Amino acid sequence: MIGYIKSHVVRWVVPLAAVMTVLLLGSYDLRGADPTVQVRFDASKAGPRVVESLTEERILRDYRFAWTSLTQAMEYNTLDPLEGPFVGTAKQWLAQTVVSQRQTGLRSQYTQQNHTLEAVFYAPEGDVIELHDTAEYHLQVLDGDKEIHNEQVIVRYVVLMTPAADRWVIRQMQAVPQF
Amino acid sequence: MTLAQDPHLPTSAVAGDETTISTSGNGQAILYLVGPGVASKREISLGEDIHLPSRELQNAGRYVVSVCSDACRSGSFYVAAAEPASLTFLVHPSRVPVGLSDAISGVALPFDPFHNLVRVPMAITFQLTSGKTAMMSRSVQTQDGVAWFRTSSGKDAGVLHVVAAVDELSARRAVQQVASEPCNLRIKGQRTPKAILVETEPVRDCSGNPVPDGTIVTFTAAEADGKSTVDAPIKQGVARAQIIVTKAAVISAASGVVMGNELRLGAQP
Repeated sequence: MIGYIKSHVVRWVVPLAAVMTVLLLGSYDLRGADPTVQVRFDASKAGPRVVESLTEERILRDYRFAWTSLTQAMEYNTLDPLEGPFVGTAKQWLAQTVVSQRQTGLRSQYTQQNHTLEAVFYAPEGDVIELHDTAEYHLQVLDGDKEIHNEQVIVRYVVLMTPAADRWVIRQMQAVPQF
Repeated sequence: MTLAQDPHLPTSAVAGDETTISTSGNGQAILYLVGPGVASKREISLGEDIHLPSRELQNAGRYVVSVCSDACRSGSFYVAAAEPASLTFLVHPSRVPVGLSDAISGVALPFDPFHNLVRVPMAITFQLTSGKTAMMSRSVQTQDGVAWFRTSSGKDAGVLHVVAAVDELSARRAVQQVASEPCNLRIKGQRTPKAILVETEPVRDCSGNPVPDGTIVTFTAAEADGKSTVDAPIKQGVARAQIIVTKAAVISAASGVVMGNELRLGAQP
């Protein structure tokens, strides 16, 4: 009998635990990497400083995380996701939007996001980078449950990012009609 | 209530300026405005002009306008930055040795009164002044809201004033230029009853600037049976050390990569 139980434990519980571990690790790894936020990043044209490959990876990771956070903040009208990826003017504007949405009962959903990100300026000392993001997404604005706006749109953003202690943060994010 | 067509939105708007939206139709409706830092709704009468106050349009970016009665019709417009009101000016480093090529750099970004980045190209003048001497004056056109420069440090130690200016606006930073590596390190020595007292002449860099106090000078005494070294910081321009030597010795000094002259001393009588 004990042998039977042991064989079942080995046959089912161990693989199940392995699968759960992989899933948990996977979900941790994908923290801030919402698969609906796609970002392509080209840093080859930045100057005067060359963007180092590790910096390029970090900016890509942090920019994508910032948009995931923005999406959550705008959809659920919560300020918490803005802590960390945004500072300065960008954070202030987004926080104001969230507070205004709360007051008016509105919320905004950004889905199917595809960002084509290009670095256009990287300061000589590496303390600021300017990016151009051609963002295509689906924007839905709701008043309660009533849809008041729905569009598939391409919006161009001029973005200033600066390095913080452990990540790159968005300091300025300004939509423009054209670059 | 009928909403005949999409709201007529401004083709261009400037941050901090009020603007007007016109609608067609008749009856009551709700107007929604969603943009950077704003999400508002208000009741309107269709067919009348709607004034959007300046406080709702301070942030540059894209604004979505929806007018809803039975159905919703929407559109969008962009608000551009206003005239520059401040300059963000980043200068590196804060302390730099003299005579170093491409050692100083600066980045200037113009912002309007509402902290919008001004992207309209404009000429920013960078001026570097050391004492009463103008080291550099260069006009650089902003590109995507950024202008920058890079230049070499000057020859004289002291405060370097760095100014970025556009129209009436200016931002000022200071860079401390310090002496470079010591040059022509020279030492002299005299015997005392128990040791040899060695000291440098005033230590200067190759441009004649006194090397900062605290810079380490290493004195080395080489005797027949070994070496001894003493590290001494420069104090008031001179480094001093007392080395115990009983036999014939050669004493030398070095600071960084610079070697000084040698003193050859005979054995103590």
